[in-house]
Amino acid sequence: MQRDKFFKEIENVRHPNETLIKTHCAYCGMQCGMNLRVNTQTNKIVGVEPRYDWPVNVGKMCPKGVTAYQQTNHDDRILKPLIRDDASLKGTTKGFREASWDEAYDLVASKFKELQDQYGKDSLSVFSGVSMTNEKCYLTGKFARVAMQTRYIDYNGRFCMSSAAGGFLRSFGVDRGSTLPWTDIHETDCLFIAGSNTAECHPTSMFRVWHVQERGGYLIVADPRETPIARRADVHLDLRPGTDLALANGILNLLIQNGYADEEFVNDHTNGFEETKELVKEFTPEYTSELTGVSPEKIIRAAEIYGKAPNAIVMFARGIEQQHKGVDNVSAYTNMALVTGKIGRPKAGVATFTGQGNGQGGREHGQKSDLLPGYRKLTNPKHVEEVCQVWGITPEEMPQPGVSAYEMFELMEEKTIRGLYLLCSNPAVSAPNQNFVRKALKGLDFMVCSDFYLSESAEYADVILPSVTWSEDEGTVTNLEGRIIKINKAQEPIGESKPDWQIQVELAEKLGRGKYFSHLKTASDVADEFRLASKGGYADYYGATWDKIDKQDGVFWPCRDENDPGTPHMFLDKKFYHPDGKAKICALPYRPPAEEPNEEYPLRLTTGRVVFHYLSGNQTRRIQFLRDMCPEPYVEVHPETAAKYHIEHEERVRLFSRRGEAVYKVKITEAIRKDTVFVPYHFGHEQSINLLTIPALDPISRMPEFKACAAQIEKLEMKKVQ
Amino acid sequence: MKKRLYLELENCIGCRSCLAACTQCGGHEQRNRNYVYDVNPFVNRQTMPLMCLHCVNPACARSCPAQAIQIHETGAVLSALVEKCIGCQNCTIACPYGIPKFDTEQNLMYKCDMCIDRSKDGIPPMCASVCPSNTIQWLSDEEIEAKQRQFNLNNGKWVTSMPYLEGETNVKVNLPGILQGVTKLF
Repeated sequence: MQRDKFFKEIENVRHPNETLIKTHCAYCGMQCGMNLRVNTQTNKIVGVEPRYDWPVNVGKMCPKGVTAYQQTNHDDRILKPLIRDDASLKGTTKGFREASWDEAYDLVASKFKELQDQYGKDSLSVFSGVSMTNEKCYLTGKFARVAMQTRYIDYNGRFCMSSAAGGFLRSFGVDRGSTLPWTDIHETDCLFIAGSNTAECHPTSMFRVWHVQERGGYLIVADPRETPIARRADVHLDLRPGTDLALANGILNLLIQNGYADEEFVNDHTNGFEETKELVKEFTPEYTSELTGVSPEKIIRAAEIYGKAPNAIVMFARGIEQQHKGVDNVSAYTNMALVTGKIGRPKAGVATFTGQGNGQGGREHGQKSDLLPGYRKLTNPKHVEEVCQVWGITPEEMPQPGVSAYEMFELMEEKTIRGLYLLCSNPAVSAPNQNFVRKALKGLDFMVCSDFYLSESAEYADVILPSVTWSEDEGTVTNLEGRIIKINKAQEPIGESKPDWQIQVELAEKLGRGKYFSHLKTASDVADEFRLASKGGYADYYGATWDKIDKQDGVFWPCRDENDPGTPHMFLDKKFYHPDGKAKICALPYRPPAEEPNEEYPLRLTTGRVVFHYLSGNQTRRIQFLRDMCPEPYVEVHPETAAKYHIEHEERVRLFSRRGEAVYKVKITEAIRKDTVFVPYHFGHEQSINLLTIPALDPISRMPEFKACAAQIEKLEMKKVQ
Repeated sequence: MKKRLYLELENCIGCRSCLAACTQCGGHEQRNRNYVYDVNPFVNRQTMPLMCLHCVNPACARSCPAQAIQIHETGAVLSALVEKCIGCQNCTIACPYGIPKFDTEQNLMYKCDMCIDRSKDGIPPMCASVCPSNTIQWLSDEEIEAKQRQFNLNNGKWVTSMPYLEGETNVKVNLPGILQGVTKLF
């Protein structure tokens, strides 16, 4: 069915005494299909074999994917619960002793009770993540509200996907990361890619991207750096970090002025065109150039190509989303597709490159401070009623909406929140303004962390619960296309580690809330309850059974019942999800980054990923090959800028902002703007670039502005280096 | 249908997945046998892989005084036979592309063998299987000919589709510059 030109019938190699378990990668939203090689005598994972018949990546994998299997039986795995009795050692790896599950659970339950008795139910919090299955994400939301009975739950998608969610909800009335399947990408005529270092962050998209050019199609890339994908772009819009909104408005203005608007589509299927047309008039190529630093010729050329293209896909990622106007950026780039009518048909649409493995599914089912399963809202009484029926609680028992991820650290700092259950995330690396965040974590009365490695954040915990890697559990994940896929179990959990859903079921019992959880004995039990809880919501997974996922190579949501095959292409009927069925073209006034450079901090600092690491690096920094390829962070500097500071390639310099400082090795390259420096964010402790980043939050998505702040470089004396 | 390794250097994104995957073929003892180079790192992010091109008349095998380098019937130039290799390293000097690697502890040369346990049965080598940018592909001769016709750039400075570099090789290569000859859709 989904066998495109890249599909080849290839028989897998089978090594003696080994079996192959088909599954998907542990890392990004591509969720590449792969086979894990399992030794049938030891029942351990020993390697990887391509999964040539998975339609999205047809066997291809990036270096993270190839080596992902090495996580499972890694020497650094935590094998037993750990307790630290001496709280003065918080913030270090010291003082932990092994304990039984019972002792650990009892301690967590008694500390939680103590805090809630003294300071109220909402003195506890849950900080979660989306690099785990839908089943776990769903249950974590239920666990927070039903077992812990707190309003404070949020997750690391606030540092990743929440701006895309906010922008899509405003533009389309629904948040599915891609309006079309990835197998359309190579067949379009123009890719407009903004703020995505695709070749490093979603490498297995690249064979499709290059094929567009091979066919004579166009590639337009907006990025402050000449990334590996920008290197080959027909037009590289080399904008200043944090100025995307001006660029998108400028291009929209040219599309309208030059007659590329699809009037019929605009009239019949959208609102807001006239107002937006008026607003973007101001954004002439010259004015846009002034704001963005991109030459007027490039802006004109990009608009001309996108306008002329019979089919085009607008794509973006964290580059535009991790700004304090990330939601506006998403809607502004989405405007291009809505005004020209290049959406709602195959080979044309809008997509975001989801960062985390389950960034899509994990934000739909109730881990977000204001959301319930199926993309329901906590502020909607009907939605609350529906979920209460599945959970067996009354609407009065349902906690109120909480606050966003970064704001939870503010509440910890001011002692409103006193206890934390952290899972599937490493905010002591990934949150902005680290000096503040680490102080907040250290000041907690009690913290329990569930992880399979001792992460930088686990260093602040009183209790560590050993969880499993993705390969030791099963469940579903929703990839960047909105395709629900199945992760399969390849080996039994090592040591005494347990999957997080099981930990939550057992801990609920200790918290006296067992009756709401004790029926969940397997991941499949959780899946059944989760599908039911999503039924009737925007993100309806009810019809996406494990069996159907297996038969169909995944199921695209919405999938409302057993006979519904799912929805690979969104909006084919030109019906959007706002009550009047129309999409919204948004008039969005430009705002500069929260912190503009000045004399004291003249450089623009932007952050991002490298191909060898994933998120906070807690997983990838432990893999020998990936570590060898990229052992430490660095600061990328243009040669002219380097000359101004009298610094050389590989020299160590001090980089600082108003919030913090760190020392980095210099990497000189012409493939970056002269006014911009770049540092990858995968590293912890004193190497973390998030010591410098700014916690300016988007008003809607509460996404921090990781992608732009003001910084300065200082040359270190040679003696300081030694 | 016989397939061969085909390199389209323009596509390389420098991810080194080919290096990571090289260790996964089962017979490679966790040591990778290929290379990825930054072409001009101070200027741009162009990178390129280099693996054994499997010469039809391989200099490495000719230079070997112990006949340790065998040529498989598929044309793959194999890694040195453990029992024959004397560790003289002639091959590392003879190879025009600098491919053979040397293990000083084992006193043994090792190199790309085209994942012979896979490729002898028509299964693509690990590098070509995983390459996310289609820099490394596994194609039939007809497919390669079509590619080379399509990318037959000759701009007076360089040609992208050459019959071969030093001597005839089983692996076919297209040099960077391929897109300069492509006709745009609009």
